[in-house]
Amino acid sequence: MNIKSISIALIFSFISSMVFANEVNVYTSRHYDSDAELYSSFTADTGIKVNIISGKGKALMERLKSEGPNSPADVFITVDAGNLWKVQKDGMFQSISSSVVESVVPTNLRGPNDEWVAIAKRSRVMYYNPLTVSADEMENLAYEHLSDAKWIGRIAIRSSGNMYNQSLVASLISNNGVADTEAWAHRFVGNFARKPEGNDRAQIMAVANGEADIAIANSYYIGLMLSGKKGDEQRAAARKVNLHFPSQAGRGAHINVSGIGLMKNSPNKANAIKFIEFLLSDKAQEHIVNNTYEYPLSANVAPSDLIAQFGTGFKEDQTSVTDYGKFNPEAVKLMDRVGWQ
Amino acid sequence: MFEKYLNSWSLLPVICFIFFIAPVVIVISSLFGDYSDNWSHLYNYVLGSYIKNSIYLVAGVLILVSIIGVSTAWLVTNYDFFCKNILEWALILPLAVPPYILAYTFTGLFDTYGTANNLVRDIFNLSNEFTLFPKVRNVPGAIIVFSFTLYPYVYLVSRMAFINQSRSILESGRTLGLNRLEVFYRLAVPMIRPAVIAGLMLVAMETLSDFGAVDHFAISTFTTGIFRTWYGMYDIHTAKQLASLLLIIAIMFIIAEKYSRKNADYSFAGSVFRQFDPLKLKGYKNFLAFLFCFFPIFIGFILPILELSYWAFNYKLDFFNERFITTAWNSFYLAIISAFMCTCLAIIINFSVRYKSNNVLKFLSSFLTVGYAVPGIILAIGVMQLLTFLDASFVGKYLNFLLTGSLIGLILAYIIKSYALASSTIESGYQRVNIRLDDVAKSLKSSGWSLLSSVHLPLLKTSFLTSVLLVVSEVIKELPATLILRPFNFDTLAVYTYIFAAEERMYDAAAPSISIVMIGLLPIIILTRMIRTSRPARRD
Repeated sequence: MNIKSISIALIFSFISSMVFANEVNVYTSRHYDSDAELYSSFTADTGIKVNIISGKGKALMERLKSEGPNSPADVFITVDAGNLWKVQKDGMFQSISSSVVESVVPTNLRGPNDEWVAIAKRSRVMYYNPLTVSADEMENLAYEHLSDAKWIGRIAIRSSGNMYNQSLVASLISNNGVADTEAWAHRFVGNFARKPEGNDRAQIMAVANGEADIAIANSYYIGLMLSGKKGDEQRAAARKVNLHFPSQAGRGAHINVSGIGLMKNSPNKANAIKFIEFLLSDKAQEHIVNNTYEYPLSANVAPSDLIAQFGTGFKEDQTSVTDYGKFNPEAVKLMDRVGWQ
Repeated sequence: MFEKYLNSWSLLPVICFIFFIAPVVIVISSLFGDYSDNWSHLYNYVLGSYIKNSIYLVAGVLILVSIIGVSTAWLVTNYDFFCKNILEWALILPLAVPPYILAYTFTGLFDTYGTANNLVRDIFNLSNEFTLFPKVRNVPGAIIVFSFTLYPYVYLVSRMAFINQSRSILESGRTLGLNRLEVFYRLAVPMIRPAVIAGLMLVAMETLSDFGAVDHFAISTFTTGIFRTWYGMYDIHTAKQLASLLLIIAIMFIIAEKYSRKNADYSFAGSVFRQFDPLKLKGYKNFLAFLFCFFPIFIGFILPILELSYWAFNYKLDFFNERFITTAWNSFYLAIISAFMCTCLAIIINFSVRYKSNNVLKFLSSFLTVGYAVPGIILAIGVMQLLTFLDASFVGKYLNFLLTGSLIGLILAYIIKSYALASSTIESGYQRVNIRLDDVAKSLKSSGWSLLSSVHLPLLKTSFLTSVLLVVSEVIKELPATLILRPFNFDTLAVYTYIFAAEERMYDAAAPSISIVMIGLLPIIILTRMIRTSRPARRD
């Protein structure tokens, strides 16, 4: 390859990265194939082109911060409320004024000044093997109960490096304080059936295979596995386990969100608000619940049958999701201290 | 006294160098900032295990890699055995497999309910409790993963060094009563030590900076610690300080390597290459030699390809569409551009060091080498800060164009990340060019550009190509910096693989993983052709 063709390739790539007028620039840490379909349908409806950069949440946040006022980003989408809280705290969002947001999203699932809003919900639930754990034992079982000695060697959960676990522990700190949570976590870790390994799906598989009796994992995984999209083996495994919504006699099941925030220096603000409203529309919500098996925000849309069969009227923890961000560093240190790998 | 440095061959490279060094300096400058409270937490609870695991990992990898790399190189250069001509080049194939992909296939195969254990249970009709293969998600597992993907670096340099080794010394050893094994470890290996150490340095830096594989195995190493501090404690400053410590360790490695070379002059200025016939092995020795060379290829290349193909064919083939073509093309042209620029930089720098004995540049050059030891994403943060600074200060103002989010940032990161590969290749190429040649050229009024272009470049042709190819295969595999620095709607194969693999959707990740390996294979096939024709003894 000679110098000339290299420079042509370079120039071409610069041109292709230059901006077009009618567009919205999205930084996202959600990278599901189905999201791409969702964005195409937005473009088809409105003629607004959606430009995507996907990556890890924290890395994108650093890029946003570093780009500062020059950032081309209009919105930031992420799958953990802690991340949204952090961006909001760093003053990089602006308020979204939209009647759609106000009517669809409950206040505990929005930023304090509507800087960001949830677009889908997920709960961190328990999965158990009905052959080894009775329904009686599961009744009203809360996260806090998993430190009991009866669960020694029976629990599967992924590593503490995972943000869903960090958010769960942060929510426990928010409600029970550091000292109580640490004492709980210490015994909880002692009850693990194995060294934490794999993702949430691997924990459900461990219960199905008999390596553990009870697992903590996000709610949508069971939908994905039952859908058969991930192969027969996973569907068969998913059919062997039951889903339990924790803490129904107490605070309710831990809720986390996929959310979207409007950037302070958004160059295409009007398009960005259209985009946010689109994601909260029934059409988009329908698409999300049937592809990612998350819970909808819109009251007009029902969760996918695959996930609704386990119950839809469960009690949700009303702890403000912003606390997850606030207590996240404390949660990580606490998990380090109790030796949760 | 500084006049020596005030001419184009001394000054220009230094200036252009500052640009490349800046991101590394930005990362290291964190050491001079405040130290947050998180340090006492790290020190009290986790730093010890990060360091311990990293040391075990690197030590284990270096030992295993030396054994595999050096002995296979010795076998293929000195003996003739079953399939030797194929094994000789096939031994570098694992270079196309990134460690994280081997890690994914390892868990897919050897986890309690992985393919391998299930197969054993099916064949022998055993119960679910039976598990034949040991767990791989631990330090020994990671050592195996890194060793079998990285040993080609040592194999390549050792083989080259063995080929260039003086036959007469080895034969004198024989006549003085050493047996073949003793000739190997008392003469041949000590003589190629600098080459092996240079290869080991690359392996050590790559192992230290890796995140994908250790994260997948959930082993707390220094790198996972960096990310935990950043992602979990929201403390990027402390994360950068941790990364800087990693850099300092790498710098110490580099100094140690330079020092180990200083003690002896290993150049073979007057070597005479004589025709020699490799010893033909017979019987069980023939078979053992074959097995010994085949095993690393099997673990590092054949096994992952088989598992990935199984997943791809069973579950997901629709990846191979037009989106695949654009993605593959993106990976490919970025890699070629970066590799070309990186190699040119390495040549100019190494030429200037040699031509002007420029010590400032020599120091800067080794400094840039540590870029290889920085975890890609931390390096990317440094690059990003440099670009946003340039954008804010003049590029954005006067040129109406932003460097941030353009391919320039990406290429810059790739060059810094792979400079060590290019520089070490060019450096060893230069070692084989007799310095007296320069004097002769100078006396014939050939200097500067003309010395470089008409004398050195033709002699460095092989090194130039090797360097380009090594960097291409490195860049195609690169993930973390690509993720964070890329422009809108721009994907590479590694990004695709990550998107699926990050969620352990291995079936979906299989097709793009195979593509990475296949495209990484192109440069390696060219490299192997060069290897086959690179036996000086046979050219006479």
